Amino acid sequence: MHEKLRAALDSVHAEPELKAATRAAVARRIRQRPARALRLAPAVCAVMVILGGPWLYFTPTAHISIDINPSLELGINRFDRVISVEGWNDDGTALAETLDVTHLSYTDAVEHILSSDPVQTLLESDAAVEIGVFGDNASHCARLLAGVEACTNGRQNAHCYQAGSEEVEQAHNCGLSYGKYRAYLELAALDPSVTVEQVQGMTMRQIRERIAALSDSAPAAGSAETPVSGNHQNQQTGPGHHGAGHHGE
Amino acid sequence: MRSEEEVNQAVELYADTVRRICLMHLKNDADTEDIFQTVFVKYLLHTAPFASAEHERAWIIRVTINACKDLLRSVFRRRTVSLEEASELSAPPEEHRAVLQAVQGLPAAYRNVVYLHYYEGYTAPEIAQILGKNVNTIYTRLTRARGLLRQALGGDDDA
Repeated sequence: MHEKLRAALDSVHAEPELKAATRAAVARRIRQRPARALRLAPAVCAVMVILGGPWLYFTPTAHISIDINPSLELGINRFDRVISVEGWNDDGTALAETLDVTHLSYTDAVEHILSSDPVQTLLESDAAVEIGVFGDNASHCARLLAGVEACTNGRQNAHCYQAGSEEVEQAHNCGLSYGKYRAYLELAALDPSVTVEQVQGMTMRQIRERIAALSDSAPAAGSAETPVSGNHQNQQTGPGHHGAGHHGE
Repeated sequence: MRSEEEVNQAVELYADTVRRICLMHLKNDADTEDIFQTVFVKYLLHTAPFASAEHERAWIIRVTINACKDLLRSVFRRRTVSLEEASELSAPPEEHRAVLQAVQGLPAAYRNVVYLHYYEGYTAPEIAQILGKNVNTIYTRLTRARGLLRQALGGDDDA
């Protein structure tokens, strides 16, 4: 029986057509692999959007610092939407709690903040407003700066500028928003006795007035800084300011 | 992924083996063609190296047996076979037809054991390893298959 089985199975061979069809199927499979991968691309993209979309949306790529006395910072995502509002002093925290600007476009948010009652009251009493844009992506920040400048166009006491992330980190380490930190550096250059704690309790207008007074009374205080006028039209070269600036007309 | 050339060499080397296993389990050439494509596409995608030619051969046998089982089990295998396809069924040579029909008539669990032992020359422990069964099960199946074949074919038992 063993020999019969062996002889019977020995007589079975794969037909040439079967082998040819198999080779063709394998070749087809090899060629189809990239095409199949491409067919899957939309599905992969959809999965990435679903899984990565929230991360993309809720990751800030730039910040906008608004300093009057209330000091606020808005976290802006890559889609130019506000995703966070943070107060950097007591007034700022109080103001942040009354604002509902999350998910608004940054221009709508800035306009909303500038037209809010507390800010309007301050601006009517000739308070200074400084709006800084900072982040790692310079071109994104430049675009945001242009939008912020458009929002403040026509405000005499508004000043817009762009800064780098490292300087902003130093400001935050001191517990100050970047706008106030810049003003603090300017003031400290004229009056080395001034402390961060003192500046934290001052409004931007008070700091500017102090800088102006020191600049007028003590030009020899060693600063090569451009004197600062009362309406802050010449703050571009202030200490710690490394970015482009714009003053409201 | 292996190269097309590697797969073509494997087709030349193992096509008869795959064909014989298909003959033991399948009833038509369309299913046989499906199994060929399944086995050799798996070979194309199997990138782990084989320890030896024997290892590779055992892999082909195991994949073929599993593919046949899957095909027969598949609930999607409700395909009708056209008359043209049915007419293409490969008839075994006249002098061996009775033996092959006797093997095909065995219970499915015995066919692989008979093929692996009597044709491929594997021992019961080797068959147990290939099929993932207990060695004693293989011995039992071999004994029963031998008895059934003797009944079907009559005559002597020189196994």
